[in-house]
Amino acid sequence: MSKLILRRAGHTGEEMLLNFGPQHPSTHGVINFIVDTDGEVMKKAIPDVGYLHRSIEKIGEVTGYPGFMPYTDRIDYVAAMFANEGYAIAVEKLLKVEVPARAQYLRAASCELCRIASHLVSVGTMATDIGATTPLVHALRERERINDLIEALCGARLTYNYHRIGGVAFDMPTGWKDQVLAFLDHFESMLTEFDRLITYNEIYLKRLGSVAVIPRELAIDYGLVGPNLRGSGVDWDLRRDAPYGAYKDFKFDVPVGKGLAGTVGDAFDRYHVRILEMKQSSLIVRQALERMPEGEIMAKVQRKPKPEAGEALSRVESARGEMAYYVVSDGTDKAYRVRARTGSYLAMGIIEDISPGMMIADLVALIASLDVVAPEIDR
Amino acid sequence: MNRTFSKLALWAFLALLVALFLGYFITRVLPDYLPAGRAVPPRLGDLVFYACAAATVAGAAGVAFSRNIVWSCIGLLIALLGTAALYVFLSADFLAVAQLLVYIGGVLVLILFAVMLTNRIGEVNVSNQSLGLGGGLAVFAAVAPLLMLVAVLVPWPVRPPGPMAPTTARIGDEFLSTWLLPFEVASVVLLATLVGAVVMARKELKAD
Amino acid sequence: MAPYQPKSDPKWLVALTLAVALTVPFLFPVLILLSMPLAEPSGGGVTLALRWLGNVLGTDLSGPVAHDVGTAVVLLLIAFLFINFGAIFSGICVWWERRIAGRMQSRIGPNRQGLGGFLVWVADAVKFLLKEDLVPAEADSLLFRIAPYFVLTGFALTFVVLPFGHSVVMADLNVGVFYITSVTALVVVGILISGWSSNSKWALFGGMRSAAQVVSYEIPAGLAVFVPVLMAGSLSMQDIIRAQGAAPWDWFIFRNPAALVAFFVLFTSQLAEANRTPFDLPEAESELVAGYLSEYSGFRFALFFMSEFGNIWVMSALATTLFFGGWQVPGMPAAAISALKGTGAWWGWQLVSMAVFAVKTLLLANVVIWLRWTLPRIRIDQMMTLSWKYLVPIGFVCLIFTLFWQLGVGAAPGLELASGVALSVGALFVVIAFFRRVFKNVTDVRGDAIDLSNW
Repeated sequence: MSKLILRRAGHTGEEMLLNFGPQHPSTHGVINFIVDTDGEVMKKAIPDVGYLHRSIEKIGEVTGYPGFMPYTDRIDYVAAMFANEGYAIAVEKLLKVEVPARAQYLRAASCELCRIASHLVSVGTMATDIGATTPLVHALRERERINDLIEALCGARLTYNYHRIGGVAFDMPTGWKDQVLAFLDHFESMLTEFDRLITYNEIYLKRLGSVAVIPRELAIDYGLVGPNLRGSGVDWDLRRDAPYGAYKDFKFDVPVGKGLAGTVGDAFDRYHVRILEMKQSSLIVRQALERMPEGEIMAKVQRKPKPEAGEALSRVESARGEMAYYVVSDGTDKAYRVRARTGSYLAMGIIEDISPGMMIADLVALIASLDVVAPEIDR
Repeated sequence: MNRTFSKLALWAFLALLVALFLGYFITRVLPDYLPAGRAVPPRLGDLVFYACAAATVAGAAGVAFSRNIVWSCIGLLIALLGTAALYVFLSADFLAVAQLLVYIGGVLVLILFAVMLTNRIGEVNVSNQSLGLGGGLAVFAAVAPLLMLVAVLVPWPVRPPGPMAPTTARIGDEFLSTWLLPFEVASVVLLATLVGAVVMARKELKAD
Repeated sequence: MAPYQPKSDPKWLVALTLAVALTVPFLFPVLILLSMPLAEPSGGGVTLALRWLGNVLGTDLSGPVAHDVGTAVVLLLIAFLFINFGAIFSGICVWWERRIAGRMQSRIGPNRQGLGGFLVWVADAVKFLLKEDLVPAEADSLLFRIAPYFVLTGFALTFVVLPFGHSVVMADLNVGVFYITSVTALVVVGILISGWSSNSKWALFGGMRSAAQVVSYEIPAGLAVFVPVLMAGSLSMQDIIRAQGAAPWDWFIFRNPAALVAFFVLFTSQLAEANRTPFDLPEAESELVAGYLSEYSGFRFALFFMSEFGNIWVMSALATTLFFGGWQVPGMPAAAISALKGTGAWWGWQLVSMAVFAVKTLLLANVVIWLRWTLPRIRIDQMMTLSWKYLVPIGFVCLIFTLFWQLGVGAAPGLELASGVALSVGALFVVIAFFRRVFKNVTDVRGDAIDLSNW
């Protein structure tokens, strides 16, 4: 395998071959980059994935439909709500079940809280990778509060298993709405402080501006999704352009990269889109909580659903971009095929193409700005 | 065969060096300490001086004989440090510190830096192939007698050791009065080197 | 559930911890002060001590051999004290930095061993001593082992000329400043060797980055140092301090507009030479694992860290000496203190001058620590650009401006005072504006009030 990769790198022996991972603080045991360097400048960085492969899609074929739901959490453990939701929507399409309105709103509120939590991890680790250690701790402090809120909602802090086929598992606890609103009031002022702390720091702008530029066409060609796509200036967000669930009822903006620190599509744009999205997510959570309809939180679904033979595709806008589930049913209580299409896997593909000529420090910025989560790559 | 010969030659050369040093030490240095047949114990300063001198010689030998190029650099470091210490014994404080700054801070670090930019430096066992041992011996045979003659025959001015006096201001004055022309010529040479380095670096960039 | 309440120590305990933390390292300069008479250049102190010892032992110790041995013992004693000052300062600095980092990152930081976690640096040191001293199998083991000592030597040698107070200095070399900039070169050699001998690509990268960085930043640092040297007309650290005064408008930094710029050039370059953020490229964790430190463990790692944190003192003390008036005590000129020599008051003024110097240096050290927990890291090409395209030209301009400024001062001596008063008042306004801004920012986010509860 490594010999194959070496051949692809066009290694001539003049360069130094560097195994950037898997035992490396930036890739923490789950990814490896084979880097061909000429001093500080890279000739090429080739991602070597598969260190976290656990056959999750295959597991989907041997467990029942509801039984696979906890496994979806593990597809993206930083933003598990979206993985739950996508699978739930796909199976609901197969079963032709209508989800109650209150459950739709609860899904939107929990997903957007989860998006904030995920983006906080992303921007925090990005700052750490650029060398500033303080922003990560500030971001994690805010994420802890979100974890507390989600724990109050569904009892779990990381792998939620909250969305179920036909609705959500639990209703809001008493007083949860006020707690969330109080947190959002605090969080919006914290975002300003975060901007002051790191976003507009001169060194930070210089480190990220015009670095690892992904032009608009290249982003589309490689099928980038979510903040990575919007960072390249493509105005596309499923929540607005192909709304699902309760999203058609909300008003929000879709931030797009504008090249504030240099070129459109640079690492700073991808970072900044995430910062701006957190603000928008906070607005969506407020709207969802205010307009929350009364009613059921679960549709009538059998304990062991047996959908008719057929196939369904669902698409949700995850924190890492468009996440699609393709579920094929053969009429039994187990899926014939479950396939997840995730943003991180697509993002890894582009690294090899834009790495030549970058510096080693920029590779770290590139990986961090793509917000790659390893289990999303290896399902 | 060739290997054994070069090893033998190396040892012979080392033995010659040691013999020369010992001979010089016994005939020229020791008598000063034995004025009337009574052994005068060396003072602290003398001991430090001989330690520094020995380190300088050992470091220089290390540069020449080490099979590992980084070890040669370490030898150079020791030799340069020893030289700086010898300057201190000559009451040349400014010169000693300038030696540290220029040779260790600048030249030695650049040499180490250049060595590490070489190919295959990732492997520790890069050896410094001592090429042309025969040529080296020939050069030694030509130069050594001359150096020895100079050391022995030139009537070196001997000053009694005095208190350390600051030399910085005097050096500055001399540079800007008596030795102004050589000083400026030296700076022009350095400027030319700088410009030349820039030109060479630019050419390489253009070739890319 | 009640929110977690951190354990709160009484205020007086907090004050006591801080007092101890600030005092412990400075016991060593006090001991040095006490041993100064022994180390007088003429050797008079040693002779007296030997005579006394000879009387006690009942033998004659006035011979040259005894004198030499006595001198060596005294020198070793003083070197021991200085190295211990460096070691203990860096230990306590680690603790202090971790506490500050804790506060800046809204977490607690070490608070278990001793009051406010004060003894954590002792625990760290003991842990380092007990850890296995690992040498990689493919490393050049001898070079790998000796590399930390180069770094330590380069660091320890700076203490030879660093002043602590009016008369507390190991040797007031007349090439003092020049000496400091040159011995730090040994640190680079050590780092380069450690990077190479580890036989690890990360370590090699770290070593190369460090060498490139230190070689580049030595030049602007040297240029900036020459500004106060020109103003004082001497290379000796003590002479430079004596040429300044105790009041802010008598400090070199304000007496000459170019010196203000030169201070920032020097401070930036010193950060780079000490591998501190934002110039921590040689050990950039997210890029190079730990750079040249990657393969080190145990006590050798501790030696690297000791010199790294001790360097905070060295760089702050150098800046204090060159730009902030050193140990000059307000209301007590240096000459007046010298005149008191031989009386009890002289000892008292020595202590006061040491306190003044320590306070100034520690304030600067806090700025260094504060920067580390605020700024991201710059990239290697930006690091080079900053040095060669900005700092070096600025340094040259400062140097040339100072030459003309000194000519101007020769013609109109009031120039220095005018500049000193104007710039120090300006600096005061900047400081006030800074604190107002910080206060506003804190109230904007409804941040916590300043409290000591997490001690």
